[in-house]
Amino acid sequence: MNLPAEKPVSLDEARAAEAFLLREARLLDNERWDEWLSTLSEAIHYWMPGIENRRREDERGACSADHMALFDDGLRDLKRRVARFKQPSAWAENPPTRNVHLVSNIEVFAGDEEGEYRVHSCFVNVRSRGLDEQYQLAGRREDVLRREAEGLKLLARRIFIPNATLPCKNINTFL
Amino acid sequence: MDKPTTLKSLESTPPLADLDRLCDMREGRMAGKIFWDAQIYEQELEKIFARCWLFVAHESQLPDPGDYVATTMGEDEVLVVRQKDRSIKVLINACPHRGNKVCFAEAGNARGFICNYHGWSFGTDGALRGMHESGIYEQSHFDKSRQGLREARVDRYKGLVFATFGADAPSLAEYLGPMAWYLDVLLDNDEGGTEFVGGCIRSTYECNWKIAAENFVGDILHAGWTHDSAARAMLGGAVAKVSDFPESWSVNWNGHGYEFTRDLVGNAAVLGESAINKYLHLQAPKAAERLGEFRSRMLGAVSSFTVFPNFSFLPGQNTVRVWQPRGPNRIELYTWVIVNKTAPQEVKDKWRRGAMMTFSPTGVFEMDDGENWEYCTRTSRGKVTRYQDLYVGLGMDTRIVDTELPGNVFKGQLNEANARAFYQRWKDLLQSASWAEVPDRNGTLS
Repeated sequence: MNLPAEKPVSLDEARAAEAFLLREARLLDNERWDEWLSTLSEAIHYWMPGIENRRREDERGACSADHMALFDDGLRDLKRRVARFKQPSAWAENPPTRNVHLVSNIEVFAGDEEGEYRVHSCFVNVRSRGLDEQYQLAGRREDVLRREAEGLKLLARRIFIPNATLPCKNINTFL
Repeated sequence: MDKPTTLKSLESTPPLADLDRLCDMREGRMAGKIFWDAQIYEQELEKIFARCWLFVAHESQLPDPGDYVATTMGEDEVLVVRQKDRSIKVLINACPHRGNKVCFAEAGNARGFICNYHGWSFGTDGALRGMHESGIYEQSHFDKSRQGLREARVDRYKGLVFATFGADAPSLAEYLGPMAWYLDVLLDNDEGGTEFVGGCIRSTYECNWKIAAENFVGDILHAGWTHDSAARAMLGGAVAKVSDFPESWSVNWNGHGYEFTRDLVGNAAVLGESAINKYLHLQAPKAAERLGEFRSRMLGAVSSFTVFPNFSFLPGQNTVRVWQPRGPNRIELYTWVIVNKTAPQEVKDKWRRGAMMTFSPTGVFEMDDGENWEYCTRTSRGKVTRYQDLYVGLGMDTRIVDTELPGNVFKGQLNEANARAFYQRWKDLLQSASWAEVPDRNGTLS
């Protein structure tokens, strides 16, 4: 696979992309779901593949686009997930899950198209429920941000966690 | 070819004394201790998981000789390997020298397996072929033919591969009994048969394996309440009210259970994908030619199935799963997606994504299940709570005798008959020293 050239962007552009990711983390931590949805492009593809524990020489690698995934969503799917969180009958969300999304290792490069940015980042998501449940997931993300009429939008996200077996029962948040 | 070493059978340990007090299905009550107790769990590993037929793979995961998948039977790690003669072997994934794993990948293609520790090398048939420093073994009159990977018994049913460590276990056909007739709804509604979509999603629940298996054996009752939020999110309204269905059934045999109605698309509808509904409507007449009109209406209907002890699926959502026991209060959930081989690629993709949206760790339905099952388990931590009666009495005496349907047939899906049959079988196995002692309850359950 040819890696795309890492074309630099201006300091202002890099700062805008970083601010986008940090604000997104805050929206998620505060359950501001509708505002979070408004940061997504209509054309978003939000993908988190299942991680497969295969040998190095196995050409299939650790994930495949046509294999089972944890997220493989367009905007309609993401809106449905948000719709569940907002239902009064989402019993398992009441009392609420408390989230912290940490974002780091942010690198911003020019994208393939004019007005697009290729953004790498790492995250740690810590969730706690009830009195003592705690789940921690860390991973790496590869995003495409696009400048649209209303400002920067998330056009594509690929989320890679190191775990071949999810160490918890669910992912009741976005990463 | 060297003959791999046969398994040593386990010595049966005495049954626990208080099982009748903890699980009384005639009265329809049990106690949470069965979800929490470490001694009971050890008995389960021996008397259920080392004894019953367990699902290990779908044949489509192993198209070519040398293809393998790793899984577990109870907590025993095994490799399921396609042989050169197209047969399938299930080998214990532990070297007969010091017991190290011989394969660390979850799936792939191999010419053999080599232990990382002392370089013992095995063929895909499990036979020991060679060792690092092989000369020194000769000095000890080492007999390679006695040191292969240990094999479990294997049998298949229409694409599904099962294995057992029980030397005295009945045949798979006998084990499934009349429930195979119902399995065919999933496995044999199309002449091309079925296949798994690629990949396997694994997650971890802090719950007892029986809670999850029992949910699929016959608890549609929870759906209308537990899954209200998910149904509203996916459909914009509540789930179908099961008590309004004109006809529905709970059927069980030897602890396996299927609860179903015949609305064709009831389960599938929650995926919110019109292409899948359309496919099921087109498939139903073809299924009717193979299975008859009755079963053709079950294809994607509101229904669920558990093959005792821990293999479950949902028709319509097409999620297939094994609740892998990992201690009394922990499971790893392995899930796959099953589709008809001849289904259009677009429909297969919709099912792959639909199962993810609904029944997976990110699925809007499964999130609420997980929360329930963990706390059903966890409350039993309390010494007093552990011994309180839990009610399992719905639908007592609703058996239908005058029916052509195979198995033990009960009226209605909103019925705990299958749950009672499941726990009765569980207890019978724990109280039996061998397969010959396991009582036949079919025809007598209420």
